[in-house]
Amino acid sequence: MTPLQEQLRERDRRVTELGRYEEKLELKEGDPIRFELLYSKIVQSVTSAHEVARLVSASPMSRELGEIIFGLYTPEGDAVALSRGLLIHVHTMSRMIKWMIEQGYEDDPGFAEGDYYFNNDPYIGGAHCPDQMIVTPIWWEGDLVGWAGGLTHTPETGGSEPGGFIPFARSRFDEGLFLPCVKVAENDRVKRDLEVLVERGIRSPIFWLTDNRAKITGAQIIRTEVKGLIQQFGVDFFGKACREYIEDTRLAAQQRIRKVLHPGVYREVGWRGSVMPGSETLLHGPVAMTVTREGRLVFDYEGLSPAGKHPFQGTLPTIEGLVMNVAIQHLFYDLKHNEGVLLAVDLKVPEGSAGNPPSIFYPTALWGITYGVGLASGQAISRAYYANGYREEVHATSALSSAYTAGGLDQYGRPFGAHNFEFAAAGLFGTAVMDGLDTAGVEFNPEGEMGDAEIWEQILPPMYLAREIHTDGGGYGKYRGGNGVQSLYLVWGTKDIEIGGFGAAPIYSAPGLMGGYPAGALYMWVGSRTNIRQLIAEGQPIPSGEGEDPASPDFVRMVEGRWELIPGHNRIGRPAREGDLFTAMTGDGGGFGDPIERDPALVRRDLENLVTTPWTARHVYCVAIDPESLEVNQEETERLRQARREERKRTAVPAQEYKARQREVLLQNDLAKPTARMYHGVLGSSEAFRRAFAEFWELPDGWQMNDPDGESEEVA
Amino acid sequence: MPENPDQLIRDLLRGRLSSLEIERLQRQDKDAGRARQILRLEQERLGWSDPILLCLQEHLYVVEQADGSRVVRCDCGQEFGDYRRNWKEAALVHERDGSDGEVHRGPRIADPGWSILREFYCPGCAAQLDVEVVPRAYPFIFNFQPDFADRPEAEEAERSGL
Repeated sequence: MTPLQEQLRERDRRVTELGRYEEKLELKEGDPIRFELLYSKIVQSVTSAHEVARLVSASPMSRELGEIIFGLYTPEGDAVALSRGLLIHVHTMSRMIKWMIEQGYEDDPGFAEGDYYFNNDPYIGGAHCPDQMIVTPIWWEGDLVGWAGGLTHTPETGGSEPGGFIPFARSRFDEGLFLPCVKVAENDRVKRDLEVLVERGIRSPIFWLTDNRAKITGAQIIRTEVKGLIQQFGVDFFGKACREYIEDTRLAAQQRIRKVLHPGVYREVGWRGSVMPGSETLLHGPVAMTVTREGRLVFDYEGLSPAGKHPFQGTLPTIEGLVMNVAIQHLFYDLKHNEGVLLAVDLKVPEGSAGNPPSIFYPTALWGITYGVGLASGQAISRAYYANGYREEVHATSALSSAYTAGGLDQYGRPFGAHNFEFAAAGLFGTAVMDGLDTAGVEFNPEGEMGDAEIWEQILPPMYLAREIHTDGGGYGKYRGGNGVQSLYLVWGTKDIEIGGFGAAPIYSAPGLMGGYPAGALYMWVGSRTNIRQLIAEGQPIPSGEGEDPASPDFVRMVEGRWELIPGHNRIGRPAREGDLFTAMTGDGGGFGDPIERDPALVRRDLENLVTTPWTARHVYCVAIDPESLEVNQEETERLRQARREERKRTAVPAQEYKARQREVLLQNDLAKPTARMYHGVLGSSEAFRRAFAEFWELPDGWQMNDPDGESEEVA
Repeated sequence: MPENPDQLIRDLLRGRLSSLEIERLQRQDKDAGRARQILRLEQERLGWSDPILLCLQEHLYVVEQADGSRVVRCDCGQEFGDYRRNWKEAALVHERDGSDGEVHRGPRIADPGWSILREFYCPGCAAQLDVEVVPRAYPFIFNFQPDFADRPEAEEAERSGL
């Protein structure tokens, strides 16, 4: 056993037996000023790494959008402090370091000063192929005293489709170039043969290569700063303080849970789907969150769909990262972000499920259902806040992610491949006290930006004809979800380009909360052989967006061409010509509360800002408003709302009657294939779900869900 | 952190705070007495003789009746039964497959083979209490079963025979 393996074993024993990371907080209690001073200086070091590194990179993901994070780790690989940025990766570099220790890397290939190890294998650490991290050991007088690391999301991976997000990947081998814990630099110098591998292995190597140098730069900054701090504070103080910071966070997290969340059991369900042709399957992401009286938070994902040959699933590190990301943003936002957060929470993820696949061959490019359960976990936390009265922390669901991908030759004649990432500024969730913010951010990166249109036009040939707030995108509610972005693009400047897209299944994209509606389904339009050049040449009006009716978009009405609608936003890359048009959208947030309780003044404000339509004002919010003056007619509004209440009573049925009808549908196995495949898979893999399902529907003994594909085989 | 002024919390409940005031509440150390304060303010507002034990969600409360039973009650007075059973079992239900075009329109309507909306209304006041996003034939989601400190689950279950 190597010395680090022994240290790791000892660390695990300490945590298991003591139930804590460090037995006593002697430094914190003995000299709290010095204790916090060192922490603030560590945070300064990871922050300056973050700020400098993003300027080293040529990738807009790192430079403009903030898809980058740095951290300091203990010798055993536990996070001590993280910079701002891509918080989903609170745990991913930890997992990478621990994996290398367990594999005996300390002996071979060794951890020398100036070595940099790279990883983008999500089964070791990370979420998918584009998440690329680097760590370097920090040595002090012959002892390894910590690790510095950085991570970026890189916009191209060399997969079977350009851009790294590959909605039709059937295995890991479609997803691009994986380098699992590979040494990419020695003696602080990048290895040239590695760069050649990347230059010839992916479509736009400049992003990968400059991201690599950015991470090495940042890790060097942390290493240098930490050595200065050790000089100043002493190596023993430094080592003990790092362990105490983790225990300090664990204790604070436990206290926070006890203070702000009501004990109980909370249940939510997230959904995604695989859109592989011929095996389209809804994916089930249930979460049962228990808040114990002692202040422990347990997330149980029993009933998660089984893994499959599609990329809408994630690895165990992904699900850990997503749940931690949600917990940090909504619960532990002001604590020291480190391993202590994880120690306060239990996760139960079934083996073989779409959050813990049975082998590394299962693709994970789109995360899919692991993002679904991550967001559903946030809903559960919201309900627990609500019960204790902290309404300012209660929110519906965040947006899904979707964008276009492209590859070929760019407008300068160079090979390229990338995805657009403006979904980092999707619509935020509606909350219990105010509307969701429009074009504001995403759950996985609280500081995300959409990036300037001009920057995207530099690295991707399509030009923006329009970039608009997605009118009525956010789920309707007393407080509506935030609207995302929808852009209309013109293919131009290249004769060799293919355009694809990624998103979700054709499901409602972001559920509402406590009576709020979900955001609508994602979709993409592609118009080929259009007359846009003729319209421009003749000075005719050209579309500036979707307009007021999504069923009849302005661009389809105004531009002649072969228009194709892609429900769900997943499109395999296909060649495009100059003059083709297409749209891409980010997701929108879910709504909160009953829409007919919405303050009419908010509806009027939205009309003034052109982010809702007169149709929605009248039909969904039941607000009578003059189309010219925008004056609200209060009496008529109350009449419309009363009529809606009466309509609800007329059209709805008592729950028991509804259940009796639905039971018949189920007994006749009369379900569409994506739904039937989901039930068949989950009922077969989760005994607990099967029991709960049979009990709810009072199913006869021996009842079984037909295998929808078995049937079709028999028919064939 | 001491309690915030009652008026501030009333305004929070009624959605009358500006985004800056909300941000201030989000940034401050959480006031430990908030749950008690909200229960007191809601009790005053609703004027019920039965004590409110918990704000379950929009419109719904767990109250303790004179006989010691704890039930889910809507602010309109409609009751939904024991809090340990899913209140949705006593609601009105409307399943919406999107084809009516009354909520989402055009391509924003999900494919009903994947996803439908299930709306739950209060039988008393017709408030829309929840909208589930589920596939057909999915069991009702039991969103929240509270654990009350004065009622250990095992003892409670034994007493009620549930």
